[in-house]
Amino acid sequence: MTLSRRGFLKLSATAALTSAFSGIGFAAKPAAQKAAIDRISQLKPEWSKQTTTACCYCAVGCGLIVNTALSGAKRALNIEGDPDHPINEGALCAKGASIWQLAEGNPGQPNPRLQKVMYRKPYGTKWEEKTWDWALERIAKNIKRDRDATFAEKNAKGQTVNRCEGLASVGSAAMDNEECWAYQAFLRSLGLTYIEHQARI
Amino acid sequence: MTNHWIDLKNSDCILIMGSNAAENHPISFKWVTRAQDKGAKLIHVDPRFTRTSAKADLYAPLRSGSDLAFLGGLINYIIEKDLLFKEYVVNYTNASFIVGKSYGFSDGMFTGFNTQTGKYDQSKWGFEKDADGKIKRDNTLSDPRCVFQLMKQHYTRYTVDRVVEMCGTPQDKVLEIFNAYAATGKPDKAGTVMYAMGWTQHTVGVQNIRAMSMIQLLLGNMGVAGGGVNALRGESNVQGSTDHALLFNTVPGYLPTPSTAQPMLADYLKLVKPESKDPMSVNWKKNLPKYAVSLFKSFYKDEAPEQAYSWMPKLDVGQDASWLVLFDEMLRGKFKGFFAWGMNPACSGANSNKTREALTKLDWLVNVNIFDNETSSFWHGPGMHPKKVKTEVFMLPCSVSVEKEGSITNSGRWMQWRYQGPKPLGDSRPDGEIIYELAQKVRALYKEQGGAFPGPVLGLNWEDMGDGRAFSAHKTARLINGYYLKDVEDKQPDGTVKVHKKGSQVVSFAFLKDDGSTCSGNWVYCGSYVDEDPKKGNRAANRSKEQSPAQANVGLFPNWSWAWPVNRRVIYNRASVDLTGKPYAPQKPVLAWDATGKKWDIDVVDGVGGPGAVHPFIMQVEGMGSLFGPGLKDGPFPEYYEPLECPVSEHPFSKVLHNPTALTFAGEKHNSCDPRYPFVCTTYRVTEHWQTGLQTRWQAWLLEAEPQMFCEMSEELATLRGIKNGDKVWLENTRGKLWAIAIVTKRFKPFTVQGQTIHEVGIPWHFGWRFPKDGGDAANLLAPSVGDPNTGIPETKAFMVNVRKA
Amino acid sequence: MSNGKSFLVDLTKCTACRGCQIACKQWKKLPAEKTKNTGTHQNPPDFSYNTLRVVRFSEKEVNGKIQWFFTPDQCRHCLEAPCKTATNDPGAIIIDEQTGAVVYTEKTAKESYDAVQGICPYNVPRMDKKTKIMRKCDMCIDRVKAGKLPACVASCPTGCMNFGDRDAMLKLADERLAEVKKKHPKAQLVDADTVRVIFLTEDNPTLYATNLMADADATPAGRGGYTRQELFARLAKPVKNVLG
Repeated sequence: MTLSRRGFLKLSATAALTSAFSGIGFAAKPAAQKAAIDRISQLKPEWSKQTTTACCYCAVGCGLIVNTALSGAKRALNIEGDPDHPINEGALCAKGASIWQLAEGNPGQPNPRLQKVMYRKPYGTKWEEKTWDWALERIAKNIKRDRDATFAEKNAKGQTVNRCEGLASVGSAAMDNEECWAYQAFLRSLGLTYIEHQARI
Repeated sequence: MTNHWIDLKNSDCILIMGSNAAENHPISFKWVTRAQDKGAKLIHVDPRFTRTSAKADLYAPLRSGSDLAFLGGLINYIIEKDLLFKEYVVNYTNASFIVGKSYGFSDGMFTGFNTQTGKYDQSKWGFEKDADGKIKRDNTLSDPRCVFQLMKQHYTRYTVDRVVEMCGTPQDKVLEIFNAYAATGKPDKAGTVMYAMGWTQHTVGVQNIRAMSMIQLLLGNMGVAGGGVNALRGESNVQGSTDHALLFNTVPGYLPTPSTAQPMLADYLKLVKPESKDPMSVNWKKNLPKYAVSLFKSFYKDEAPEQAYSWMPKLDVGQDASWLVLFDEMLRGKFKGFFAWGMNPACSGANSNKTREALTKLDWLVNVNIFDNETSSFWHGPGMHPKKVKTEVFMLPCSVSVEKEGSITNSGRWMQWRYQGPKPLGDSRPDGEIIYELAQKVRALYKEQGGAFPGPVLGLNWEDMGDGRAFSAHKTARLINGYYLKDVEDKQPDGTVKVHKKGSQVVSFAFLKDDGSTCSGNWVYCGSYVDEDPKKGNRAANRSKEQSPAQANVGLFPNWSWAWPVNRRVIYNRASVDLTGKPYAPQKPVLAWDATGKKWDIDVVDGVGGPGAVHPFIMQVEGMGSLFGPGLKDGPFPEYYEPLECPVSEHPFSKVLHNPTALTFAGEKHNSCDPRYPFVCTTYRVTEHWQTGLQTRWQAWLLEAEPQMFCEMSEELATLRGIKNGDKVWLENTRGKLWAIAIVTKRFKPFTVQGQTIHEVGIPWHFGWRFPKDGGDAANLLAPSVGDPNTGIPETKAFMVNVRKA
Repeated sequence: MSNGKSFLVDLTKCTACRGCQIACKQWKKLPAEKTKNTGTHQNPPDFSYNTLRVVRFSEKEVNGKIQWFFTPDQCRHCLEAPCKTATNDPGAIIIDEQTGAVVYTEKTAKESYDAVQGICPYNVPRMDKKTKIMRKCDMCIDRVKAGKLPACVASCPTGCMNFGDRDAMLKLADERLAEVKKKHPKAQLVDADTVRVIFLTEDNPTLYATNLMADADATPAGRGGYTRQELFARLAKPVKNVLG
């Protein structure tokens, strides 16, 4: 028996059309569900957009291709090695091969990623959910209060230092170049000197 | 990396030491395997037999922390057997330089040590200069005060017998490896080294790497295809984050952080501008004032350079604000607020209990992350009583890499643009957006209320990082590259004048100015974004595999992404050709001199001029590779010292047991030769997890492959302690206690060191109490807060523990 | 019929990076299992309904030298699949003529797991306890039919996993064997004439994993006292006759 790809899909136990397609959001679209979209078809431009990226783990810099659903939840459908990339030529290690899961979580389970701003008040015993505006405004006030209180234009010897003594930062090699630059500029404009990150450890 | 990943295929001998590349940089093995297919020899030297060792042609065990004996031994062997590449050593290194009379070395100590401060006076280690200020040289290398003779003398103590005695490596393996690696001293052969944290996380970390750099110079392996000194960096953008100075001691582009010794801009520019009297030395760093002024203008573009400089925060002279010091100060209550941005210091820093306690001294903590973790949740961690912890904690969700746009720089210095796939999940946001919006809120407060020293807060150039509401990676990338702040006229070689319009991108750092007419957020990246139109200008996004046959021969791919500096793929490549421009390895040249066109082909050459016009090591003041390196805090030649916690009370190289300049903290005990903690412990990673495991532990596919904290140990140690494979064991020392599942393995063997049997165990550092519940906790609970004197990197690769059955 | 497709798994090049193990799960979106560390890096410990390929780790001391053998294990897609002979419904296990892929369908739920699993010379198929559906590697036949490499092969960094027309793979296997033999005289191709997933070992296959070679010794229950190899040898007969 020669299987057509579609014929195979109707039969195969392995390729069962289940949670893999949650990215397209079948549940909300029963009509689309009828038009069975298999894993191969969903990589086509009518179903997903294709973008390139580089792996977020070690610094080999392997290329990957991300397919993101154009409809429904518009989440990533598949992430695999970019065969055109000269360094990895499509290959990925265990971590690189799992990046889809980093973004989308474990198949069939709630995504364990942080998706809300969480706050723990002093001496508090639990997390509270907050909005971005609330949190960023409060952090900004904290920064200002403590920068104003600990800013030193001179050190004990009377030399000019123009620095903020009471704030410190670590992070982050996980950010993009542009984010790193913006972050260090922000910290240095506040006057921080205790600026460190992963490269030191 | 001086070279890049694909270049590994060009090597004749690959030494992996201080790294487990097959597990931690798995795709590097695509290129290591290609080299092996072509006949290259792969050597792995490591305390334990790993997935890397399994693929090596030659594996040798070595006790953690004894690398310098091995490397010093190799230096001695190369010199003693005359296996060095003499022409290269004479022409391209400082072997011929005459060292000043105040330099000396005796029984483990260099001259100039101050017992009060525990520091050396590095000025004692200068070179002899003639009346014109030029360094004296002896190209016959026979002057007893020349670098070569001093080096030879220094390493005569590093005999093979002593290597065996301290490393515990079998003698036949030592000799086999020395012979195999030294064979790359032939002009057309290339040897390379792949190292990682196995070399840096020691109190002699920097000297480990310097020793290897010296070996590479002696063998003529720098600047050539298949050679170089290659740091395998562990995070996707740790190269970029280092370039952009998320470190206390530099500002972007490896410029030093201003200190109180440079109150004015002029003082600073004088500091960063080195001088060479050798006309053949390019001394590229003499250009640093242009890059520094352009940097300060990128921060504060509307201010005069002097004003912009005055707004930069300044360190006290000699102040160390590195990681371990930071947490020590935090524990003493110095800081009110703290950002742990995309990090998990509660697991990642040495001495986790100290770090975790330090977090309780903060008034507030901001942790930006993808998952809940041991840092944001420290207040309800083991031993904590939430009702007694004052710290206010903000846990902010950031998006993952595939949900945002921007660039990262890999270990081979390739800057690669990434595009957005799905939009950020839930309320998560890209880091850049969070930074940008937070900064606007701080700025608004200062605008409304005033406050301490508001100038820099209000004056920072946010305009070039976003549109007032949202962060823009493209705008920021253009600022990092740099642009003209006014119309600038440039004289061309043919005498005509070209006008660079205000607002246009600077195409190379050669055009940056020290008069405030250009800005550049990082000169190293100048040339990466050369036109305002991303399609034309954003070279990190280049995806063409077009290359000449000669470029293809060595796998250069110059049109794929962009590499700093100036798209040069092999740094110091001028050392790959002789003084007449002839490649030392004609079968795999990285440079070819086109005599008719009067230009260099293949890679972008280091420095200007034709063959022999200038010295090749253009970032060194004198243009020469440094066999003698007076710039380090613990001596100009690497010297053997034991880890701060070690199983021996003496070693044969000198009377000085530990690095006398190591970073330590008063009152913290170290357990050397303490019978309670008899075993050497080392820490490492596995393929399936990453760093503290903060991201990978939450991924079920990775967690199922490596689900729990383990401790690898030899069958001999297991027998000694009555431990069976798969048993739960306790590891402990004065700093902490940790459970793990025993992996009893033939891949760890006891070492014979000074006639004694020394056991070593190894643990991964990927686990933490927060998730999964049965996963274990951080290896760093056991690691000491001691560090390398130059970098402050903690010695997490060698310390002492006890192990017992749980 | 053409000679179909085959894999060459050159174990001299496997670094056990487990990229293939995860790439398989990623493509098929297979859930993970709850595992424990039992004193080995091999995890999940074996095949399961949700783990169609597993990298096996084997530490051996050969002539005083430590060796660590890695085997990315999977269904061999036998040229004459014994498992198919153990089924009643011809639609339960399908042999795709174009590629030679041995593909299990949901109809396996109606078949005897003991028979199908028991007859496999490599102990590969697994069954879902709830649905009784059996599962194993399907050669990523959806990808292959679309002109892509199987996910495991695409992810392999070193050239350990190779995939293509059977004739080309057999040729590559011979070339690699000749090359590897220079360093490792005991190198061999495992069961190359009977399977589509051909392993190249540098030493005796039993050093790598119990079932790397067609099982010659094991006589577990459910096989009527016949060894796997005997079963394999007697495939010409209908399996029911073999099992009595």
